[in-house]
Amino acid sequence: MTTVDESVAAALQLEAIRRRRRLVKALGWGSLALAVLWFTAREIGLNPFALVQGADHMWDFLTRMFPPDLSYILFLGRATVETIQIAVWGTLLAVVFSIPLSLLAARNTTPLIRIPWFNEHWERLGLHLLVFHVTRMFLNVLRGINELIFALIFVSAVGLGPFAGVLAIAVHATGMLSKFCGEEIEGVDRGQVEAMQATGASKMQVILFAVIPQAIPAFISYSIFRFDVSIRSATVLGLVGAGGLGFSLIKTLKLFRYHETATCILVIFLLVWATDWVCSKWRAKVI
Amino acid sequence: MITLENVSKTYGGTSGIVALRDVSIHVKEGEFLVILGPSGAGKSTLMRCINRLVEPTSGRILLDGREVTSRRRQLRAARRDIGMVFQQFNLVKRLSVLMNVLSGRLAYHTFWPSLLYKFDQDDKRVAIECLTRVNMEHKAFQRADTLSGGEQQRVAIARALAQEPKVILADEPVASLDPKIARQVLTYLKQIAGELGITVLCNLHQVEYAREYAERVVGLSQGTVVFDGPSGKLTDDILQQIYYRDPEAADDDG
Amino acid sequence: MADPVQAAQDDVLAALVARKKWRFHHIAFMAVGIAFLAWAADGVDLSPKELADGIPKIAKYFALMVPPKWVFADTVWQPAIETVYIAIWGNVLATLIGLPLGVLAARNITRLAPVRFFAKGTLNLFRSISELIWAIFFVAAVGLGPFPGAVALGMNYAGILGRLYAEAMENIDPGPVEAIQATGAGRIQVILFAIFPQVLPQFVTYMLYWFEVGVRSATVLGMVGAGGIGFELVTTIRLFEFRETAVVLLIILAMVTIIDVASSLIRSRIY
Ligand SMILES: Nc1ncnc2c1ncn2[C@@H]1O[C@H](COP(=O)(O)OP(=O)(O)O)[C@@H](O)[C@H]1O
Ligand SMILES: [Mg+2]
Repeated sequence: MTTVDESVAAALQLEAIRRRRRLVKALGWGSLALAVLWFTAREIGLNPFALVQGADHMWDFLTRMFPPDLSYILFLGRATVETIQIAVWGTLLAVVFSIPLSLLAARNTTPLIRIPWFNEHWERLGLHLLVFHVTRMFLNVLRGINELIFALIFVSAVGLGPFAGVLAIAVHATGMLSKFCGEEIEGVDRGQVEAMQATGASKMQVILFAVIPQAIPAFISYSIFRFDVSIRSATVLGLVGAGGLGFSLIKTLKLFRYHETATCILVIFLLVWATDWVCSKWRAKVI
Repeated sequence: MITLENVSKTYGGTSGIVALRDVSIHVKEGEFLVILGPSGAGKSTLMRCINRLVEPTSGRILLDGREVTSRRRQLRAARRDIGMVFQQFNLVKRLSVLMNVLSGRLAYHTFWPSLLYKFDQDDKRVAIECLTRVNMEHKAFQRADTLSGGEQQRVAIARALAQEPKVILADEPVASLDPKIARQVLTYLKQIAGELGITVLCNLHQVEYAREYAERVVGLSQGTVVFDGPSGKLTDDILQQIYYRDPEAADDDG
Repeated sequence: MADPVQAAQDDVLAALVARKKWRFHHIAFMAVGIAFLAWAADGVDLSPKELADGIPKIAKYFALMVPPKWVFADTVWQPAIETVYIAIWGNVLATLIGLPLGVLAARNITRLAPVRFFAKGTLNLFRSISELIWAIFFVAAVGLGPFPGAVALGMNYAGILGRLYAEAMENIDPGPVEAIQATGAGRIQVILFAIFPQVLPQFVTYMLYWFEVGVRSATVLGMVGAGGIGFELVTTIRLFEFRETAVVLLIILAMVTIIDVASSLIRSRIY
């Protein structure tokens, strides 16, 4: 038998060992992280003093912006409306494209490719999921490229204007929405699917009556979220000539009319903030 | 040790729910007191008034002859002297068992060492001794969420003990545990009162446990004390009063 | 009366038919919706004709990109890596700025309503203004280069992350918080011992996810002179160097993919 004091001493010793081990680990990871941060900071010329030195530039910039020229709001009406229109249609097109794409991008609803007497090897290679993999890859391309890059490309393909902006938002949002919904569809409750299969329903019927109803709330909620994000993106599309408030922003900036630039920023802030508020209320209502 | 003088609590303004009315209790040092009452009687409110997790509407609470107030400095000192054990254990799940018990020592330190989750050797010794008292020292380095309910509650008792308190408030400590484990936990609490001379106030809603463990029972019904005496005197008549008093009667004496 | 079961069935069927019926407000609602969409489509020059014209043009544009001019990779791999560095520092700054603001904005931590209001307002301001607009501002202040890009990304993401942090902290289990408060611990001790351990895994998930998003955002900062691969991208597009553009796009995709995979590996190790 050990006494209480002995077992306490033993536990204390064990604690000291564990603490030392943890300290070594923390120091190891910590110094690695610091090294990475230090190296990358040097590479990008991170320099807090530059911010301090730049403070008078920033101040200068701010004072030249202030006060915002509120009369300019009248000229921003058209651009604000256009921003909203771009986001509405960009998101709507994305929602429409996402319905089929997200079904293709989920393992449990994607069409399987089967070849009669060759099936076993085929499946082992995962080739029956070919449609799924190709769709996911395509979606990753759409997701991986920023909407501004798409906008830049579309502007140079079809010309300046909001049309390029709508397409850019639609394309990028389709990637985001379909990937998210594909995963949501893969996560549906198996029990309901099996119950439907047990009634003798066909694959299409199972998808329609057991899979889709389960995924719909998340799809709607995420679409609303995407609209919120699209509004924010639409405010800068104008920087590359794809319509909306960003165009007024860059124009006033290039003409050194900083009071008007400030008005643009103010309107952008209000628009984004209002959209955020509306969307969060709307989502709460849907869920 | 603890004296409650005419403590009342109304939730939600003057026209709100009356949870306690004019409760006066005196608890002696080292006593094991059970507060018995159906759910909604105001037991939790009573305890939370003592360590000011809830601000009483009126009345005074004295700890060791000194009034407990909500002034920041004094409140921290008073809370350090009062350990609390909860129905839902309320351990910090992702921290180790030992760290949970050590968090009972926080009131002895300023926040500077806490910033690095640092404690001194004495704290650790106390913590491990407290764990040993509830036979949980062998799990000291596991994460709290790997323990069973009974084990978690024992760790929670160790956390309260690590404060080296004068009083422990146990708010339905066994309501989420099965009977065998529940008796084990109550036995630990009773031992604590007996051996360490810590005053223990324990909320219960089951009569059997009160009969089995309590020396003295306070019966609470709709916020008023309807019984205060040794557990032997808990007659069926009194139980009837505690558990089945109809609302009209409450209004009459309110 | 006839058989009651029959009657009940008839009632249900009648109710179903009634539900199917189009009411005036349904039709009005639809009409307004369609009119709104038509108006919006007109505003953004979206029409079947535009699409029929535009889509072939875009297809032709992409067709001109093949084959990619691989040697151009020599010129862009360095800006590509710089993009990742910008994202790293952007996210570090975002947490450094966003976390304290998030703590001040969380209802269950900060009791003083004016402080909370101020913190929430600041976060909203940071979040609403896109990183590109921030970048224009900081480039004006400290000159061209990746540094203002990182700061700009940091500002925008501080707003986003700060709000997420605040929400995560507001949604924790309040039990352990009360337990630690009841030991007599001070405010900061309660945050450190009861709140942070509960939200840590979620914080890490957010950081990783927004790092991924950050890399994608950082690819366009170069458009306003704030460093990274965006500058090469804009230049090649403006000069109609299609085959060079293809290389830049492929490098961006490769980079984004690698980071996606890496971060999902890290995430699976946390849980
Ligand atoms: N935070 C609160 N706000 C409003 N009413 C409360 C609150 N906590 C408890 N109550 C009410 O006070 C009464 C007593 O509750 P409580 O003290 O929890 O009783 P017990 O612990 O005996 O079940 C109940 O009617 C309950 O609904
Ligand atoms: Mg209770």
